[in-house]
Amino acid sequence: MRYEIRVDGHLSKTLAGAFPEFDHVVVSDQTLLYGPVVDEAHLYGLLARCQSLGLCVLEMRRLPE
Amino acid sequence: MAHRHRHRDRSAPEPRVDPRGEPFLGTRFAAPARPLTFLRRARLADRLDQGLGTPLTLVDGPAGAGKTLLVADWAARLDRPVAWLTADPADRAPGLFWAYLLQALRVAGLRPAPGIGSPAHPSSVDRALLARLAADLSGRPEPAIVVVDEFERVPTADIAEQLEFVLHHASAGLRLILVTRSEPLLPLHRHRAAGSITEIRGAELAFTPEEAAALLAAHGLRLSADAAHTLVRRTRGWAAGLRLCALAARQSADPERCLKEFEAGHSVVADYLLAEVLRRQPAGTQDLLLRVSVVERFRPGLADALTGRSDAERILARLRRENAFVEPLGQTWYRLHPLFAEILRAHLRERHPGLETELHRRAARWLSRSGSLTETLAHGCAAGDWEFAARALVDDLAIGRLFTGQGPDDLGTPFARMTAGTDSPARQLVLAARELAGRDLGHGLPRLRHAEELLADDTADHVPDRLGCALLEALAARLTGSPGRAERAAGRARDLSRSVPAERLDRHPELLALLLAHVGSARLWAGHVAEARAALAEAVTRPGGAATALPRQDALGHLALIDWLAGRTAGAERKALAALREADRYGLPAPARSAVAGLVLAAVAVERDELDAAQALLDRVTADGHGTADPVAAAARALAGAHLLLARGDPGAAVAAVEDRGTAVVASPWAADHAALVASAARLAGGDPEAAAKALEPVARRLPACAVAAARARLAAGDTGTALGLLDTLPTPGPGGPALTVRAALVRAEAADRTGDIAAARRLVARALCDARRERLRRPFREAGPWLRPLLATAPAHDWLVAGGGTRDATGLRPAPVVEELSPRERDVLCRLAQLMSTEEIAADLYVSVNTVKTHLKGLYRKLSVGRRADAVRRARELRLL
Repeated sequence: MRYEIRVDGHLSKTLAGAFPEFDHVVVSDQTLLYGPVVDEAHLYGLLARCQSLGLCVLEMRRLPE
Repeated sequence: MAHRHRHRDRSAPEPRVDPRGEPFLGTRFAAPARPLTFLRRARLADRLDQGLGTPLTLVDGPAGAGKTLLVADWAARLDRPVAWLTADPADRAPGLFWAYLLQALRVAGLRPAPGIGSPAHPSSVDRALLARLAADLSGRPEPAIVVVDEFERVPTADIAEQLEFVLHHASAGLRLILVTRSEPLLPLHRHRAAGSITEIRGAELAFTPEEAAALLAAHGLRLSADAAHTLVRRTRGWAAGLRLCALAARQSADPERCLKEFEAGHSVVADYLLAEVLRRQPAGTQDLLLRVSVVERFRPGLADALTGRSDAERILARLRRENAFVEPLGQTWYRLHPLFAEILRAHLRERHPGLETELHRRAARWLSRSGSLTETLAHGCAAGDWEFAARALVDDLAIGRLFTGQGPDDLGTPFARMTAGTDSPARQLVLAARELAGRDLGHGLPRLRHAEELLADDTADHVPDRLGCALLEALAARLTGSPGRAERAAGRARDLSRSVPAERLDRHPELLALLLAHVGSARLWAGHVAEARAALAEAVTRPGGAATALPRQDALGHLALIDWLAGRTAGAERKALAALREADRYGLPAPARSAVAGLVLAAVAVERDELDAAQALLDRVTADGHGTADPVAAAARALAGAHLLLARGDPGAAVAAVEDRGTAVVASPWAADHAALVASAARLAGGDPEAAAKALEPVARRLPACAVAAARARLAAGDTGTALGLLDTLPTPGPGGPALTVRAALVRAEAADRTGDIAAARRLVARALCDARRERLRRPFREAGPWLRPLLATAPAHDWLVAGGGTRDATGLRPAPVVEELSPRERDVLCRLAQLMSTEEIAADLYVSVNTVKTHLKGLYRKLSVGRRADAVRRARELRLL
């Protein structure tokens, strides 16, 4: 399954490196991170990672296959 | 502090180490110091004061919201002790969490009563221990205030449920303050409905424009009301953002422009600000900050080891003064602010790809010299430096911990990904230990042999390796039922331990205690009872508290079995219960508990004719699994099960239960003898005394129990002389415990009854009753036969013979106990009687003649002392035969 995480603000390339499994694209004043999610543990791990990096998650959704 | 407790309970020494055997990390009990620029916000402190009126306070907000400092500042100004615990991911193991929480109480001077105990096992905690803690808290004149910081690091339902349990039962005796980034799994809705929670959440923690202006003023920056509003909007009042803002602005030539640039941008707040602040640091400082991001906490020495320079002390002192990035933990330990650590790691990976592994390796080396074993192993394994990590474990003599500390977060976990790799003894030993701990003999035994060969080829001393090897050898000997191998291992361990300084062995008391328990088990299997008892008793009495709880209860279980085998029911029960208490007290998880102790209790229950209780005990041991991994436990399981089946009137299944011989290297004499006893009893129950006597012929003179059973079989076959002759071979003064003497007396009584010497028979029955009464041994009387009934009628009080006591029938008299087992065929008939089948129907159903059914009916009536079929069914129900 693939997910998209929308966070508030522009993410620097450095910090995007904290999500090596995800691609990212900056749109207006938000950043979209998207890529494969292995399982539920991975999903919650991603959320925790966002939290520990001080990111403000606006949206998290599963992408249609 | 707490003089009252100076005389501590000797049996419950206060743990100096956590359940992993590691010293408690003092830094986890200290609230962080507030930086000079800390802004005290009265509205939040007031809310915490209000929180003292509710059992639970939740301070819940994003990383960097200023939660920890808020509570730390409030706690420091309170005129009462506050127990502080900073949670750690390892605390997901409940045993570890509660050990740390109890220690936090002690450190704060809120010493829990000594009898509460402490979890011995990282992965579990005994419910009774929590109940004792709750009772202790609820009995205090003033509630204990307990802060758990970073509670989001233990997101398990288990711990949330346990905290809720203690909170509920401590009633007004506990004020729990949870500081967390994510909502805990406690039943918050219930607390909200009951008004028993104070919540300080993100919105409240956010800085107001006035507070933001005050914070920046503390950093020497003046902010207009408008600017403060914009800044708060941009940072959402986020404390870390404001703090970084202040630092960035202060370090820049033009603070105002710096702030404006930030406000106008669209960057992620922490990302941008941290990069800004980092960029302005000198190169050496930047390098240090990036490198220490791989460790949880560090001292200047460790930071120097990571940078390869020697300026850490100076840099850290400066960063501390400026309140940038690092937080002092006391005792010269520091850590990075958790939020910054993550971002710094991202910077490290970008600037120095691949350096992380090397940094873990350096951290492992530094920690092995001056830090804890757990951290050394974690970093050694994170660097993939298996050889180093395995060597550190073995050299520390900590290999026993791979057995005593099994669980989700045990010492061995970092090794999960370790491969066989090179031929190093330490690595092979750790792998073999993990395999044997998982009862994987197929891989563990060859690997252990390989490790031994490697050591044999090596001329160096390698005492820790050889000691570790001896422990694994003793375990292998136990699991394979190989007493010779156990003795060799014990001998080697004895010689080796002399060349190790006592204090090194004392740090890991589990090593020798485990070894003794294994050797004792192997000796018991081989029937060397006295030698087994010596080793087991030593395993029980060795010091070590929590660290040695596993081998202690293991050895107690075996000692209980020794008593049961000799017919000493009371002693067996006492020791088995002591084993279970020990396991409970230290919260050992099910697979680590002595299966033998549970099995002995089941066997004792059978002797008392408490068959449902026996069944429940057996079921529990079976459900726990693992328990019958060694031959002693397997034999105990087979015997306890077989005796229960005999008592339930299913001799066929009883014989089948003891027929499985297992795969031990050496056959066990007592296991064989007791299997023969079961076979003989089954034959006797089937009405074939000749076969019963024959089953015991090869072993009749080996065990007193066999001689008694053989005598009974001979007597049943009508051979009174031989029977008495067999009894005369019994050693004096007593052949064993009451389970034996009672049976012997009953055989003599039956013989006397046969020869018409009623007076002697009465006297012997009275003696049997007297011996049996104290331990409530009902089974021997149930087994005896119909001759006993008239003698019992005139015997002194024996109400206790009826299992379960109080059931009286309609006439107000207790039902006479069944004194003769129903034969399997009589049971078949009884079952059909209960289904209201006629004699003819029963005959057709069982493929026998009507006359045969009538014969069985007569037998049934006689044994149940009734005259009609309806009474037979009723009585059978009362006696729980149906």
